[in-house]
Amino acid sequence: MNERITERLKLPDSVVQKYGRFGWPLGLAGVALVIVGAFLSWSYDPDVLGDLSLNLYPGGLQILAIIIALVSLALLLIVRGPLKPRFGPWVDAALGLRAAGTWLLIYMALIVAGISAEAGGLINVNPGGWVALLGALLLFAGSRLIAPSAELRDLSEAKVPSSLEILVIAVMMAAILFGAAYALGREDAWSFVLFLVFAGGLIAIGVRTGFVTWFGHSSIRNRKVLTLAAFVVAFFFPFTQGGSDANMSIATQVLIFAATAMGLNIVVGLAGLLDLGYVAFLGAGAYVAAMLSNSAFATIDWKPPFVVVMLCGAGVAATLGLIIGSPTLRVSGDYLAIVTLGFGEIFRLSMFNLDGTNGPLLTNGPNGIPAIPDLEIGSFNFGDTHEVLGIELARFSNYYFLLLALLAFVILVFTRLNNSRIGRGWVAIREDEKAAEAMGVNTFGLKLLAFAVGAFLAGLAGTIKAHQDVAVSPDQYIFLESAFLLAAIVLGGMGTVAGVLLGATILKLLPEKLRFFSEYRLLFFGLLLVLMMRFRPEGLVASRRRQLEFHEEDEELAVAVESELAEEVGK
Amino acid sequence: MDQFFQQLINGLTLGSLYALIAVGYTVVYGIVQLINFAHGEVFMIGAFGALSTYLLLFDDQTQVWILPIMLIGAIAASVITAVLMERVAYRPLRNAPRLAPLITAIGISVFLQEAVRLFYDKIPGFPSAKQRIPFPQIDVVTGPAIQIGDVTIQRAGIFTMAALAVCSALLWYFVNRTRLGRGMQAVSQDPDTASLMGINVDRIIVVAFAMGAVLAAIAGVSQGLQNSNIDFRMGFLAGLKAFTAAVLGGIGNIQGAVVGGLVLGVVEAMAIEYIPGQFGGSSWKDVWAFVILILVLVFRPQGLLGARVVDRA
Repeated sequence: MNERITERLKLPDSVVQKYGRFGWPLGLAGVALVIVGAFLSWSYDPDVLGDLSLNLYPGGLQILAIIIALVSLALLLIVRGPLKPRFGPWVDAALGLRAAGTWLLIYMALIVAGISAEAGGLINVNPGGWVALLGALLLFAGSRLIAPSAELRDLSEAKVPSSLEILVIAVMMAAILFGAAYALGREDAWSFVLFLVFAGGLIAIGVRTGFVTWFGHSSIRNRKVLTLAAFVVAFFFPFTQGGSDANMSIATQVLIFAATAMGLNIVVGLAGLLDLGYVAFLGAGAYVAAMLSNSAFATIDWKPPFVVVMLCGAGVAATLGLIIGSPTLRVSGDYLAIVTLGFGEIFRLSMFNLDGTNGPLLTNGPNGIPAIPDLEIGSFNFGDTHEVLGIELARFSNYYFLLLALLAFVILVFTRLNNSRIGRGWVAIREDEKAAEAMGVNTFGLKLLAFAVGAFLAGLAGTIKAHQDVAVSPDQYIFLESAFLLAAIVLGGMGTVAGVLLGATILKLLPEKLRFFSEYRLLFFGLLLVLMMRFRPEGLVASRRRQLEFHEEDEELAVAVESELAEEVGK
Repeated sequence: MDQFFQQLINGLTLGSLYALIAVGYTVVYGIVQLINFAHGEVFMIGAFGALSTYLLLFDDQTQVWILPIMLIGAIAASVITAVLMERVAYRPLRNAPRLAPLITAIGISVFLQEAVRLFYDKIPGFPSAKQRIPFPQIDVVTGPAIQIGDVTIQRAGIFTMAALAVCSALLWYFVNRTRLGRGMQAVSQDPDTASLMGINVDRIIVVAFAMGAVLAAIAGVSQGLQNSNIDFRMGFLAGLKAFTAAVLGGIGNIQGAVVGGLVLGVVEAMAIEYIPGQFGGSSWKDVWAFVILILVLVFRPQGLLGARVVDRA
């Protein structure tokens, strides 16, 4: 997207040649104005967008503007100045500056729009806001005039000490933790959107300067560190919430959704089998947990410990997975998608009907099973508030840790399978089933295994979900939920871990924080699916191999994938 | 025995509706090998198009001559939706991997449902589509049911069956006797060769979408008359059942879609009556329909009448 905007806003070469020398001073002036502006008052009304009305004491959104300005300053100094000899050959500073200019301008324009919308009229924007907006405009103009660096070296050759790489990873992870905590702390929609624009701007700068490419290479070199750091960050997230459970409730939902989507990712992303009824497995786990729980409405009079319940739920789900997977022997492609959709509907209708009059009493029909008590493992009750290091961790935080462990387990299963003989078999089936079979891959067995493993993981997630949601009912497991799970995978990038986590977070988090658009949530969801398939079918975080499947004629990409594969084998 | 005939009639009524929608799936599939998952929404929009025409032009009237005009309104709404959908969403994906159009179709489906739900009452004088909306009652085609012996036949049911009969005849004529129809057959057999023979494949695809939309619109009106109300969700289940019908008959095969629809409707009706015990009755009929879908796909993917062998990953 950013690429498109930047390309369209490109000035003709003749203009760049003629006035290019003004670009750098103009950009510097812009940066200076933004920083000066950010220390002045932006808004007359102290009650909008946090408090932006004080001089010399920047509020949260003003600090964000300063951060972008400082990044731009560093880039300017790379174009011409003390940082040039060190970073010049590696960092594409000119393109980074263009991204910075564009996004800072969008950011400031939205700030002005936000203040005038919330406080009632442009009159409420104080001089500081206008100064910063002017600065953004100057930076925008200046960055267009700076000619892109002619020769850049290949970033995969950039060598820095591995301790430094690890440090960068740690800093990035910490930034993500603080960013997430900060974003979730924004109460009003404007601030939240503005933070998203800020984050989008930083990402765009990272992409354009090549930082993201370098980070990608270095994180491949330090994969274990990265994974560990990510989980440490996720682990410490509840401690940033100061005992408040509101955001933790959203976070637990994101985790359940992500864990389920990751299970589906095995079926769709790795094995390439489209499953449109996947939410049934989550439901199977949840229903088993509910029926075996201590709820007064539970229908089975057997109360095993939760570990047994988990295994039962996952086992039932896996059995269903085997049943649903069995037609894969004969049907494939679109037909399989419809078969799974049919199974999903059968599951929902069965849960709806098994109420004692239309079938055996198992699920209480449309009423579902309410009042499921909180989990109790040993003497640890998940409903109670516990105090750790002086920070109160309430109900949702407890579930959060359990779900985090689950997600870690799911990701472990996913990556281990992906890098195994089984995973390579799946890739072979996905890319060409007949060829795979001819090479001796047990296609039917592997496809069944994909369904069973995926269902097992979703079943596990379901057993916890039942306790966390307190109730289960058939309308939680409709087709739309399966579509959402699929969308998380498609949006993020099929077959990737990071992409699916990102997709799941976006799809669950945005509607929660943007309440004003909850009415239009599904409308945008539908539109998003269509646009994604049109413009970026491989997802936000694409695995190269997937990308190639969607862009077969792209020769350059094919070469890149080949060399990457060679690198992997060599390692 | 009366019960049998009663359920047979009910089944045929239901089946006619499925058949009308199923033709749309089958025609599009036969030509571009695409499951147009959003076809159920085309059907829903047809019903809303008819209702809109009624509300705009003939509010509170019940004469039978209104019906053809409502049908035209329904057809216009459906055809415009289907053609736009093909042009904007599907055409750019024609050579993409199979997953892409299917996901697009889900997206379109959700989008259209929501668009109707959210924006229908923004048109002045129209009711909110967030709940069920009563569908106008028209003389002759709705009203007191007809009794033959102990068998009750709803008038709207007769309309549906008659519509299916007329549409099938016209469809047969169109596909087998007109230039465009034969072009369609050619494209479905081999698009590359067909285009070498001077057939405009893009145009044929648009025609296929439009043709499916016409029948879906008629089905939408029939459903409105039968249930005397419509809502924005009506396309999902009907679309799924109709797809089942298309598969049952052999997808890609137009006669198959009609036969499949009728068979599915009758089986569903009979399941209500004749499956004993707790798993019979109307609350399980949808389950049986899906069970049939799965069994057919697994054991006879070419369908009852058979079609081109479908073997694609």
